[in-house]
Amino acid sequence: MEIHRYEKIWLAGALLLIVGFIATISYGAVGAGIEMVDDDGGQIEPNAISDHPKFSEPGTYKTGENEYDVYVVAYQFAFDPGTSDPIRVPANSEVTFHITSRDVVHGFEIVGTNANTMAIPGQVATITVEFGEPTEYGLLCHEYCGSAHHAMEGSIQVVPQSQWNESMVVN
Amino acid sequence: MAAEPESEEMPTSAGEGAGDGASIPDTESIDDEGYVIGSGRAGVVRQIDHDDFDPIGTLVLIAIYMAIVGAMWIFMYFVEFLGGDLTVIG
Amino acid sequence: MATFVDRYPDEAKVVQASFAVAFIALGIGAFFGLIQALHRTNILRVIDSVDYYTLLTAHGVLLALVFTIFFLVGVFTWAIAKGFERPLPDIRLTWAWFGLMTTGTVLTAVAILAGLVPEIPMSADVLYTFYAPLEAHPAFYIGLAMFIVGTWMAGADWFLAYRDWRGDNPDERIPLQPFMVLTTMIMWYVSTLGVAVAVVFFLIPWSLGLIETVNPLLTRTLFWYFGHPVVYFWLMPAYLLWYTVLPKLAGGRLFSDPLARVVFVLFVLLSTPVGIHHQYVDPGIAEGFKFIAMTNTMFLLLPSLLTAFTVVASVEHGARQRGGEGYLSWLGALPWRDPAFAGMALAGLMFAAGGFSGMVNAGMNINYLVHNTLWVPGHFHMTVGTAVALTMMAGTYWLLPQITGKTVYSRPIGLFQVVLWFIGMVFMSNAMHRGGLLGIPRRTAEPQYQNFDFAAAVGSVGEIRMQIAFGGLLLFLSVVFFLFNVAATWAEDRVDTPVDDTIPAPLSPPSGAPLILDNLALWTGIAVVLVVLAYTLPLASIVTDSGLLGSSPGFPVAISLEALAEAAASALPHVSLDAAAGLRPLDVAAEAAETLEVSR
Repeated sequence: MEIHRYEKIWLAGALLLIVGFIATISYGAVGAGIEMVDDDGGQIEPNAISDHPKFSEPGTYKTGENEYDVYVVAYQFAFDPGTSDPIRVPANSEVTFHITSRDVVHGFEIVGTNANTMAIPGQVATITVEFGEPTEYGLLCHEYCGSAHHAMEGSIQVVPQSQWNESMVVN
Repeated sequence: MAAEPESEEMPTSAGEGAGDGASIPDTESIDDEGYVIGSGRAGVVRQIDHDDFDPIGTLVLIAIYMAIVGAMWIFMYFVEFLGGDLTVIG
Repeated sequence: MATFVDRYPDEAKVVQASFAVAFIALGIGAFFGLIQALHRTNILRVIDSVDYYTLLTAHGVLLALVFTIFFLVGVFTWAIAKGFERPLPDIRLTWAWFGLMTTGTVLTAVAILAGLVPEIPMSADVLYTFYAPLEAHPAFYIGLAMFIVGTWMAGADWFLAYRDWRGDNPDERIPLQPFMVLTTMIMWYVSTLGVAVAVVFFLIPWSLGLIETVNPLLTRTLFWYFGHPVVYFWLMPAYLLWYTVLPKLAGGRLFSDPLARVVFVLFVLLSTPVGIHHQYVDPGIAEGFKFIAMTNTMFLLLPSLLTAFTVVASVEHGARQRGGEGYLSWLGALPWRDPAFAGMALAGLMFAAGGFSGMVNAGMNINYLVHNTLWVPGHFHMTVGTAVALTMMAGTYWLLPQITGKTVYSRPIGLFQVVLWFIGMVFMSNAMHRGGLLGIPRRTAEPQYQNFDFAAAVGSVGEIRMQIAFGGLLLFLSVVFFLFNVAATWAEDRVDTPVDDTIPAPLSPPSGAPLILDNLALWTGIAVVLVVLAYTLPLASIVTDSGLLGSSPGFPVAISLEALAEAAASALPHVSLDAAAGLRPLDVAAEAAETLEVSR
């Protein structure tokens, strides 16, 4: 098959572009250490969340020196915690969010950041992020979940270490 | 200038019906070409065959595109994404 | 001079009917789009936010499925009859699939739009992706299934035409346009299997109460098994027009017939084993599967990048034949006053930009930045919303005369309309991309929140909203002009030669293409193997983890008033109830909350 030499040049350029994209993503995974949400969170019975040792009492759990787990249950149309009460985590800590849904598919986005995942009934999404200085983030559901989807929001308070106290953790 | 006889246009795979060779609109009736839909070929002033055509303009356009895409990709990945808050590390 | 309608009057009627359904869907869908653009930007709210999701479902289904696919079956029917130079084998079969598709469409549309009328106990506010366990009325799923089966029958119709043609022409190359139709349909058969299984085996029995529960991750994964190839199903009629019609409109000839075939074969192979790239941030799917989907997706860029070269080179050939010179000034020699040419060329230009945001979407970990934000609809309004929709509108100006025997009512209105679409989309889509980077979510009636504001580093959120609303308005006006022009054309009288419908021979003829490219069975086989490789393990692990039927019962889109009130009250912890009552969409809920508050 005859291919014009200019098109051969472009074919090579296109392949270079594709390989470059894959290389960039691989760098992000290996070099910058970005991990995808995957099947590590395991499964959960959506109708029996109250039987789960942690999701039955969602909130912030201390797991180590400056390490915390935050369990969040999404439902039509709120996050627990997050909506009625803000999620609280201490500043300069490493936090793993465990997110599930007790009804339909929801989204979990810490507004203006890369912390962004799905909440699918039956599945637990886990994402680990490092929080820095004290601040407050917005939280929203970014997957349509029903007629009041737009009201499903909340906040995350990154509390200064000096003000962090026992009442802010479940355990 | 009217199109030259389109002798090289044999019936082909591109799907034209039979006997269409003469159905080009009468170019005499087109006052100013471009004012009739589908009359692009009425403005042809020269026939360029396969061996006489090097799409250099296409190569230039596509090179510009590749440069833009490469630069935008680097901006999106390294500034917007990696430069953003809260990288997911686990 | 005879054109298509004179040679194939029966087929022309089917194409006309398909276009008519497509354009009705376009008009309704575009109107809903305008309401949404004004609503979510808080410029003008004429509907309740609860109804926003009804209109959004209708907008997605009517434009992304009905408009695009009815136009597709019209163009493909035209291409098959014209390309094989023979009528379809049995016009009753042709009308049968048209009837089935139309019936399915009406059923689905009724199920969706009934959601606007509280008296009718029927709703399907589940959006175009219908993720379970949000549950729609069974009529929604049944209508969709009929629609899909109708497209399968259409494919069968065209393959029967191919068989007849092959019987008479045992040694000829498949003509290019029918080749494109047949390869596209192979891709469609392979990919619709996923959605068919999801709908027929799970969602229909579940919505009818025959099975209690579904596995939401499974039905979602099966949806996306189909949900990415469907975008190529939209795109392939546009590619068909770009490869075979645009060069002619430009005054040139297709640069390379063999490469066009290679591109379509690549789409058959790579369109389906990529769907998991829509699930990069889904739990329950291992990262390795996501990485495989990404590499497949990245290589799927190749046929589109090759298309960019071949199509632009063909257009350049036209410009050179029309006297164009120089490295770039040849662009000025193109017939820009022809709306068919200008519309397709602008659609291609927009596709280049949409292609870039698609490259970002394809990148696995960068998906954290854009997933489910306004960036995503920004992207697909450039691709399906312009590359496809604008090409279809532009193509109509050249096709409609052939299938009706009538000249286009107004060329200037046509030109104005296609340019207006392009400008409107530049405003709307660019602003959507920027809004997405700020974290503004898609599919949300009121992306204005109590707990936080979106922070724009450049410009402002208000300015982004204005651009979206303004762009949406221009797009709607463009559709109004288009539909007027089409209707006025249809009302004209028949003429002998409504348009020049010849397609010149390619510069590089099909004889240069390896014979193996026409071996459709081989490519089907490889495509199936690739799909099996990409999907067996992820699907097996999803089923092993949560069971074939999962444990999610159906949930309505609206929950009880009490729960809604609770949501409203808890969502606004720092806001007085008076202020909450001022929020229109939640006023019912807020009132209820007030009552609850008083009763405590």
